[in-house]
Amino acid sequence: MRRRRILLIGLAAAAVLHPIAASAEPTDVSVKAAFLPRFVRYVTWPTAAMPHGSDPFVLCVIGSDPFGQLLDQAAGSQSIDGRHIIVRRMNSTAAAGDCQVAFVASNRLDELSDFGGRPVLTVTDGAAAGPRGIIQFAVVGGRVRFFIDQALAERRHLNISSRLLALALGVRQ
Amino acid sequence: MPAFQWRAAAAATAFCACLGSPAIAGENAPQGPDDLTNLSIEQLAQIQVRSASKREEPLSSAPTALFVITSDDIESSGVTSLPEALRLAPNLSVQQVDASQYSISARGFNGLQAGNKVLALIDGRSIYTPLGSTVFWNLHWPLLEDLQQIEVISGPGGTLYGPNAVNGVINITTKDAQDTLGAVVRGTAGGDEQTAAARYGFQIGKSGAMRVYADWHNVDELPSLGSNVFDDSFRGWQAGFRSDFVSEAGKLTVQGDVFHDTSAAEKGDGAHGQNLLARWTRALGPNSSFQLQTYYDYFKRRFSLVDDSLETFDAEGQLNATVGRHELVAGAGARTTRDEFINELNAFNLVPPRRRLWVFNGFVQDRYRLSPEVSLIAGLKLERSTFSGWQALPNLRLAWQPDNRTMLWAAVSRAVRSPSRIDRQLQALPFLAPAPEFTSEKLVAVEAGYRGQPSSTTSVSVNGFVNFYDDLRSTEFVDGHFQLMNGEEGRTYGIEAWGNAQLARGWRASLGVSTLWKDLHNKPGHLDLAVRNSLGNDPTWQVTARTDVNLTSRFHLTLNARAVGPIDQAPKIGSYVEAGGELAFDATKRLQLFVAGRNLLHKTHVESNDPSGAQLAERTIYAGARARF
Repeated sequence: MRRRRILLIGLAAAAVLHPIAASAEPTDVSVKAAFLPRFVRYVTWPTAAMPHGSDPFVLCVIGSDPFGQLLDQAAGSQSIDGRHIIVRRMNSTAAAGDCQVAFVASNRLDELSDFGGRPVLTVTDGAAAGPRGIIQFAVVGGRVRFFIDQALAERRHLNISSRLLALALGVRQ
Repeated sequence: MPAFQWRAAAAATAFCACLGSPAIAGENAPQGPDDLTNLSIEQLAQIQVRSASKREEPLSSAPTALFVITSDDIESSGVTSLPEALRLAPNLSVQQVDASQYSISARGFNGLQAGNKVLALIDGRSIYTPLGSTVFWNLHWPLLEDLQQIEVISGPGGTLYGPNAVNGVINITTKDAQDTLGAVVRGTAGGDEQTAAARYGFQIGKSGAMRVYADWHNVDELPSLGSNVFDDSFRGWQAGFRSDFVSEAGKLTVQGDVFHDTSAAEKGDGAHGQNLLARWTRALGPNSSFQLQTYYDYFKRRFSLVDDSLETFDAEGQLNATVGRHELVAGAGARTTRDEFINELNAFNLVPPRRRLWVFNGFVQDRYRLSPEVSLIAGLKLERSTFSGWQALPNLRLAWQPDNRTMLWAAVSRAVRSPSRIDRQLQALPFLAPAPEFTSEKLVAVEAGYRGQPSSTTSVSVNGFVNFYDDLRSTEFVDGHFQLMNGEEGRTYGIEAWGNAQLARGWRASLGVSTLWKDLHNKPGHLDLAVRNSLGNDPTWQVTARTDVNLTSRFHLTLNARAVGPIDQAPKIGSYVEAGGELAFDATKRLQLFVAGRNLLHKTHVESNDPSGAQLAERTIYAGARARF
């Protein structure tokens, strides 16, 4: 028994010496992070809601951020007509005045309606029950997909390209 | 008096006899997050993803003592049964009673009989039985690879969970069928047990999926403890399916299981059963959703000349709505059970032997945001059962989240355990008379806690509680016979703390502690003769530790250890330390080989002092293989 105990401790010690991570498939979170800045290319905002001059697009994460660095990396790799995309994190919609895209985390879903008719592309995660944004992520068949609420997009004067609509699992007209 | 004691002990022992039987997912090549930036949006939509382990925001913002066992935790620990998986929760006390039976509890009152204050659910289907409000863990063999997570709440479940959530809730959920496409085949073999399991998941149309599974187990007997000599070996299988259909408007889940188990104790001993559940969730508008769930469940157990069966129908609806700063949840449910209990072993019987029972409940809860950081939760549940009038179960919780990494909370709640069939209708004349006056056991719990992420690689949770109990069950001598009464009261209090740290890339460690002090006593004018049988056999402390390491890119090691304090209730049990774990080797992308074991430090140890048939827990080692394709 004592020998077994020593053996176990030995294994644990050996473990410390080789802490190497095994890589696997990406998580749904990393794919969602990759999607978010890419939506910008397939949506047209009314002129008044576009960034001024050559200012970057603003992608906001409202509430507790599930993405962390993944989103900053994904946003950093995109540019649309010379414009970059920057990520801003905030606790509530109160500070979301100049966001083009707003990912609303599940702990702030109750603030979704604050956007009213403002031209903001709201995105939510289907893992949480409750209110939904214009784009709602869903993991179907082990792949990250989404639903699109085009009626809501139209009310907000956002034009969503047919390429993005074609990828949606469903489109609410 | 000695005669009384002997008869009380005999009653307690026979009473026990009624309850206890003596008796790598994706097809695509791995793609690191770094590669994702170069893909087109169409390619992105085709990437196979690993479903996230569910330590998600809704949980971190729930102001309650909550521990989540993830599917990764279960798989890497190498366990082969649900009760062994539950040992991963530091806020649960898990006691193996014999080869198939476990008693599991939070915050005390553990034991095959006393463990009647926990609600356990599998995918929304309640699995505690109205016979004695306990859970027969040996009747549940879900495929462990398909479990999504196990939420373990210590403390009252508040208003949102179903009846019996007094000391804790064990909420087991399986993965969405969309997340279990493809096949898994697993087998384990060792001297003491063998298991085999297979699952196949496939898509139905564009947005539906289904899986079917079967698993089989064959478990050897445990060494006998004292005079409890019997063959507790058993074998059985469980099979089932789950299908999920997503549409823009909502989601439909249909699932079911069937199982069959044979125990070696007596010829004809064993259990079988089946269940079917449907759940429909629909978004009613941008800020509200509705869920409807209904299920049917049947099982029959036979052990040493006792037959026990139960048929359950349940229907419940729930409405979630967000209005301004209010997050509202309201719901209602009805459950009816039809049972039969026939005991040809001894004089203990239920009168009547067959009975239909009803439970109705309605609840409403509001989470009101006082400010961005502070939320107040007020909830009220009304519950009525065949053995009780309408009872109110209110709870009030305050959560303060100064930032995304910190939550401090406090709560006061009332919970009740409605009388079970045994509480009211067990009789063995002339010894024990039925107790038509037995009322609900009552709890007022005061709790407070901290949950947070002090740094990006650590998480910590600390909870304290004081539970005030009234009308706990006693066995008393009244008018020439024994009778169950509500003759005990008192307090329990304790602290639970656990933490998790990513010590390096590929190396994770966690530590958990829970303590329990009990101050329970006879109410004035009452005298419990059943050697405090209903008050639980609880260790005063428990420490759990775990480490997960990727030794190389292909070797993974997980070790779990637990130290359990002494049980002072007679027959006393000393403290013990035990450990288990798994060493796994990814032979190929699709095939994993592993050796695993539990109770490795001692050949045998005493874990339960249940008088009806506790056996010695035993060192168990097995090897296994798991393939996914």
